[in-house]
Amino acid sequence: MSDAVVLPVETVAPKTRSVTARLLSNRSVVAGLILVGAVVAIAVLAPLLAPHDPYTQDLTRRLVPPIWHDKGTWANPLGTDNLGRDYLSRLLYGARISLLIGFSVMLISGLIGTSLGLVAGYFGGRVDLLISFLITARLAMPVVLVALAVVAMVGGSLPVVILTLGLLKWDRFAVVMRSATQQVRSLDYVAAAEAAGASRLRVLLGEILPNVFPHLIVVATVEAGSAILLEAALSFLGLGVQPPLPSWGLMIAEAKNFMFFSFWLIGIPGTALALLVLGINLLGDGLRDVFAPEGRA
Amino acid sequence: MLGRSLTACALIAAMAAMPAYAAKKDNSIRFAYDQVLENIDPYYNNVRLGVIMNHSVWDTLIYRNPKTNEYEPALATSWKWIDDRTLELELRQGVKFHNGEPFDADDVVFTLNFVADPANKATAQQNISWLEKAEKVDQYKVRIRAKRPFPAAIEYLAGPMPMHPNEYYAKVGPKGMNEKPIGTGPYKVVQHDIGKVIRLEANKDYWEGAPKPKPSIDKIEIRMIPDRQTQVAEMLSGGLDLIMNVPVEQAEQLRAAPHLAVKSGLTMRIVFILFNAGENTPMPALKDIRVRRAIAHAIDKETIARELVGEGVRVLETVCFPSQFGCTDEGAMRYPYDPEKAKALLAEAGYKDGLDLEFFSYRERQQAEAMVNYLRAVGIRANLNFMQYAAMRELHRQNKAAVTHQTWGSFSINDVSAGPSAYFKGIDDDMTKDPEVIAYFEKGDSSVDPEERKEAYKRGLQLVNERAYAVPLYALTTYYVADKDLEFEPYPDELPRFWEMKWK
Amino acid sequence: MLLYTLKRLGLALLVAAFVSIVAFMLLRLSGDPALAIAGEGARDEDIALIRQTYGLDRPLIVQYLDWLLTILSGDFGESLYFKTDVAGLIAEKLPVTFLIGGLSLLFALALSVPLGVLAAVFSGTWIDRIALAIAVAGQALPNFFFALVLIMLFSITLRWLPVSGSDTWAHFVMPTIALGYYITPPMMRLVRAGMIEVLGSDYIRTARAKGLSSLSVIFKHGLRNALVPVVALAAVQLGFLLGGSIVIETIFALDGLGYLAYQSITHKDFPVTQAVLLLLSLIYVLLTLVSDLLNAFLDPRMRVA
Repeated sequence: MSDAVVLPVETVAPKTRSVTARLLSNRSVVAGLILVGAVVAIAVLAPLLAPHDPYTQDLTRRLVPPIWHDKGTWANPLGTDNLGRDYLSRLLYGARISLLIGFSVMLISGLIGTSLGLVAGYFGGRVDLLISFLITARLAMPVVLVALAVVAMVGGSLPVVILTLGLLKWDRFAVVMRSATQQVRSLDYVAAAEAAGASRLRVLLGEILPNVFPHLIVVATVEAGSAILLEAALSFLGLGVQPPLPSWGLMIAEAKNFMFFSFWLIGIPGTALALLVLGINLLGDGLRDVFAPEGRA
Repeated sequence: MLGRSLTACALIAAMAAMPAYAAKKDNSIRFAYDQVLENIDPYYNNVRLGVIMNHSVWDTLIYRNPKTNEYEPALATSWKWIDDRTLELELRQGVKFHNGEPFDADDVVFTLNFVADPANKATAQQNISWLEKAEKVDQYKVRIRAKRPFPAAIEYLAGPMPMHPNEYYAKVGPKGMNEKPIGTGPYKVVQHDIGKVIRLEANKDYWEGAPKPKPSIDKIEIRMIPDRQTQVAEMLSGGLDLIMNVPVEQAEQLRAAPHLAVKSGLTMRIVFILFNAGENTPMPALKDIRVRRAIAHAIDKETIARELVGEGVRVLETVCFPSQFGCTDEGAMRYPYDPEKAKALLAEAGYKDGLDLEFFSYRERQQAEAMVNYLRAVGIRANLNFMQYAAMRELHRQNKAAVTHQTWGSFSINDVSAGPSAYFKGIDDDMTKDPEVIAYFEKGDSSVDPEERKEAYKRGLQLVNERAYAVPLYALTTYYVADKDLEFEPYPDELPRFWEMKWK
Repeated sequence: MLLYTLKRLGLALLVAAFVSIVAFMLLRLSGDPALAIAGEGARDEDIALIRQTYGLDRPLIVQYLDWLLTILSGDFGESLYFKTDVAGLIAEKLPVTFLIGGLSLLFALALSVPLGVLAAVFSGTWIDRIALAIAVAGQALPNFFFALVLIMLFSITLRWLPVSGSDTWAHFVMPTIALGYYITPPMMRLVRAGMIEVLGSDYIRTARAKGLSSLSVIFKHGLRNALVPVVALAAVQLGFLLGGSIVIETIFALDGLGYLAYQSITHKDFPVTQAVLLLLSLIYVLLTLVSDLLNAFLDPRMRVA
């Protein structure tokens, strides 16, 4: 990192520059965008990129090492897994599942948390008290434990995992949206809109939401990353997405039996997952720098 | 990168210079098991570790020699059938329990009558439901009465039915027995931290004339380590001396470690797919025999056995272990791997575009996943539901799981009555309840004439195959990984015999 | 201050009560406990009898109140799987979990405070970037993966540390790192942000103008103020650690509350699951209460909030 000494551009950039320009000059944002974009591209193009069907097993060709090992072959560039399935193909398709989990959980929890936060922040008073209470109560319940209990009873599957996590992880959205809304609602133009006779819903969605949106984006990235990690933890405990779906979390969980002797088997999906979450977090960091430089989002 | 530096070579190199182990020096063995024992009392658990504890801490009336399969005197010195339901046994004199209580007829009578009473809710009903009652004839003679003619009683008395001290058991019950177990066996329990560790110490006063030798190893430490990977890491780093049920791929790779010895052996644990083809099955398609047969043809058990089960595996054609009395695959219908035929059968049954299937499993996840993939290959959209045994059993019995991947160790009992009878005789786990099949297994379980029994089991097993109520797969092997200086022998009953083990 | 304390205490109790309802309903609605109690081979009439004996045929609300009353009297019931006293089981496992949670928190503090201060003081330089990289990496790795890599490195290759168990201090090193590292990033960010804010304030500028040395300014004046929100976060994180140690306890075979909870969930041992959930919630509520009070004590401006 020889260029790290150079002062980041954004600190000297005038505040008047367009948001896009500010975003694109932030290193974290760019790095995050590249990483996440790459994973999204992989997920979308998986059927075109994958050399094999990710579900087809060949028990006579199990644990073929990847190409950089002596015994690797180009037929399976990343080797094969414990059931002789092409690892590269599973990795590519796995990107879909992991992204799907991250984004769906983020959407569900974002919808719940944002609504609660907006309403609490805007109306204040008893409504705020009630919602703050709900937030505290939710925070008091350990996520991993409750998620495990629910998944264990209902049975693990992709929709169950997404719903459970989505219904559990709205707390941060609610907290951040609530305080952001409180700040925004006292601003002049909100009062102006109210005075002009705009309905409350209109004020909330038309005036307040756009103003707290940057905060929302920041939280959303953090939550998407943490949802992906949580699914991996559930899979590790045998209660996540069920095979043969290739989620990266599940691939890591299945590969752990081989890690002491075939490290690549856990190393490949582990690296992929870490890079994805890293990308999401970098994006979140960068967005925070651009939108909410006080660092309290 | 980490991946490169920590490959097998580096690992093995790191292990080459091993320090002498503490365990070997103080003549102890450190063993680990992955499942928590709900209760050490052998009548109140269903876990393999429970069987290990049974034979280490307790003794049975009769002993089955694991090498010859002959019955030998143990706590009973002799026995005879006085009618087709009553067994009379002479008891050994001079045997003492770990707490000093002398062993006599009262112990036998109390133990057996206690567990036979349904109100006491013994967990292993399968092993004791044949028992009606036990009676004392004199201080060293008892009579055990079966509910119906039950020739396999001797096998049960030699296996899952240890003798408890009556006074102590009456006082503390199964709960106290769990906290502080007392038996007559070669090892005493000196510590039991529930869910964490069980410590055993050699019983210095182990009774003379016992078929099990006096133990050579002084102390056994059994730790609960739920994660297999952690167990392997412990073996690699010298933190344990013996582990069992090691997955084949790990075991094969561990062979490269210079300080470890890997042994494998066939076990009595058979694997099969069980269908719920009964009235209330959650998957009505299974009522069609063509669908069941298609599933049987879709799975390449030979390949799974060879690639995923490991050395010494035995592929089965009927749902029983070959050494069990009454087990045969003679004349039984076979379902060779034939994906085309499977597809044809499905099409014939009206499922040309495939069908959805929930596949339930609780162990050997890798093999289960392979089966799911084989089903997918013929157009059955199978999903794996992997869960704990108790959870799967509950779903199965509530008609919520139609296709279950079962494994059954018959409690190491060498008789078909402990094997397929559990699944096809119309009781708890039999959801299909075919009256003809039930009749054969009932006859096999209760006839006195051995030839008649064999014939009945044969017909029953044939019918199970013909009607495809289950897909017999193979008998599992088990891999043990031990310190190379530990002398021990694997047996098909998956019972590590601590009392026979020695440090070289 | 007293009024504030009372208000907070009241809220804490209310939250605990609410959580207990949710925990109870959640577990009851998802499975019939009678089946779990009846166990293997039970006939329908046995199950009906059990429902009656245990009062499971009554309305849920009555059952809840009944359960609450017994809990309040200190009786958590009996474990269905281990057939032993739930309170005893929990009491046995709690110390390990507390120890591991406390150690992890200390580890996280020991790592995040210096890193955060360094990052703030040298904000925008390569030091800041390295600190950020450490934090970001911690948030991107699944913690079980990290734990297994630690085992590989320290137990198998280097042979410095025992793999699993809880007998000596050495057994706690890897679990502490694996669990603590995971909560380091948010704390570090908070220290950094707080320090940047404080260092830029008039108050510090004045101190500097008075000619106080940089170090003394940073530590005496800056850190003290920047730590206020960190204390609050630390308390909350401890609650999170207790609930989140399931995976770590499973890997390192630490026989704590998390592993007990995992076992109870997989064995449908609902009295244990319920009790653990309630206990963890209570601990969390208590911790936030303590942190709120601590905050109010450290920063009088907040008392009016």
